[in-house]
Amino acid sequence: MFSTMNFGLFCGMPLEPNGYRVAIAGAGPAGLIAAGNLACRGYHVEVFDKMPRPGGLLQFGIPEYRIPTPRIEEAVDRLAEDYGVVFNLRTKVVGSLEDPAGPAHDEGDVFVTATRSLADLRRDFHAVLLSTGSWRSRRMNVPGENLDGVYSGLEYLFPLRAAHCQPDEVCPPDLARRKVVVIGAGLSAVDAAQTALLAGADQVSLFYRRTIAEAPAGMHEIKHLTAKGCAWYELAMPTAIRGADRVEGVEFVQCSLGEPDESGRRCPIPDKEHKQAVDADVVICAVGELPTLPDAAALDMKRTRKGGSRWPRMTMLDGVFAAGDCLTGPSKIGWALTGGLEAARSIRRWLRHVVRHP
Amino acid sequence: MSEQCMKTKWVDYSKCIGCESCEAICKHMWGTSRIQMTQTEDGVMFPLYCHHCESPQCIKACPVGAIQKEEIGAVVHDPEVCRGCRAMACMEACPFGAIYHAGGVVPITKCDLCAERRQVGLGPACVEICPVEAIYWVDVAELPKLRTKEAMDRQKLVMSHIAAKRKKNKPKAPEDKK
Repeated sequence: MFSTMNFGLFCGMPLEPNGYRVAIAGAGPAGLIAAGNLACRGYHVEVFDKMPRPGGLLQFGIPEYRIPTPRIEEAVDRLAEDYGVVFNLRTKVVGSLEDPAGPAHDEGDVFVTATRSLADLRRDFHAVLLSTGSWRSRRMNVPGENLDGVYSGLEYLFPLRAAHCQPDEVCPPDLARRKVVVIGAGLSAVDAAQTALLAGADQVSLFYRRTIAEAPAGMHEIKHLTAKGCAWYELAMPTAIRGADRVEGVEFVQCSLGEPDESGRRCPIPDKEHKQAVDADVVICAVGELPTLPDAAALDMKRTRKGGSRWPRMTMLDGVFAAGDCLTGPSKIGWALTGGLEAARSIRRWLRHVVRHP
Repeated sequence: MSEQCMKTKWVDYSKCIGCESCEAICKHMWGTSRIQMTQTEDGVMFPLYCHHCESPQCIKACPVGAIQKEEIGAVVHDPEVCRGCRAMACMEACPFGAIYHAGGVVPITKCDLCAERRQVGLGPACVEICPVEAIYWVDVAELPKLRTKEAMDRQKLVMSHIAAKRKKNKPKAPEDKK
């Protein structure tokens, strides 16, 4: 009655090797489904991922009570054993150009023991798929954001999952008996708040600058949380995180809703008169993540998104494709799968029509 | 046709996280997804799907017999036989909102438990891609075990959502997500 998850579901057994080599950077859902799809058709697929295990956010971002980890682990093992996909772990694919802002630090970089440049991959493989996700946490840019006890959504959630498989290398923050403030109302904010409740936090409050009707996680998730004892502050915009050397509280202003902004949601207008504050030992800012790509400037994702290449999902670098959160920003697993599948199809067509001989 | 060897699909809505993976893989396989997401006013997302009923209302509703139940349990739609009637009574008849507009000469599509895949020894794609093991392809005899209290509570919520949506959209059939 039970069946394992299978990213190579397209075939029972892969076809004979066809000579083409494809590199995939990022072993999340987009990368894994593309790997399974290409491996089934005889492509030699190598996946590079900076984390100690494949799975991306399925493995390291989404809590166990939503996705059971063993199912993802079995699916990945199957991809390696039955479909011949090669995994290069703890290997981050980096850009060849120096970033003027200095080396970027993204969540999960602590696991990296080796790097491969995108230029190397382009030389060693016929095509490259970037499915590197969005591992850079968005900042609120308020005073006190760098205090001890302030975490991003991923910084809090991902060590919990990483500690499950690499207990020596990461130490998740202990929230038992703490006063926790979570900022944001997307799924990572909701997951962080629920995880904090499960970890035995004394008090968990969720702060959002719009109302429950605009919450990206959906009204149901917020209601579910408040029923479990989470306090809900809506139209509350944090203006500062208070504390001498570690977090002591959060200052916020009450907002009202104005005209819709470019995202189509009504814009919060802070009411400067109504400053308030709450006490907190831990603040988790889950206000979104930004795409993390090697050589982002050369890839020109803005043009890629608009379909700037003749080949669907090809970036402005010839033979380099993109799919998943690194292209679209954080979204759902299903969208990542669709992206990975479209990219795999596009890679196959491009190789057949342009590269021709492996 | 003994009930023992009949197989059907079951979605445990209490496990479903609304991630849209099933819809994505189905769309990739068959062009139009045959398992489609819907959303309650509260923002709970879940997929509507064909239950391959024991006595399917869609079969009774079809005037030309374009929908048949296979010996092993799958309720399949034959586009060759389907006349593309305007009434699309099958859509109305399905209690689970699991028959969809296909937008072509043949106006509807539905889940056939991946008939083409089954011919080469594979199973339904959505079952294999669900990250939370909420979708099962099982012997009918095993259904009672899967109908846990949690699953049935969520199932009831889904059914009342379908009913509410039907009422709102009348006389139109339940509409697609996008």
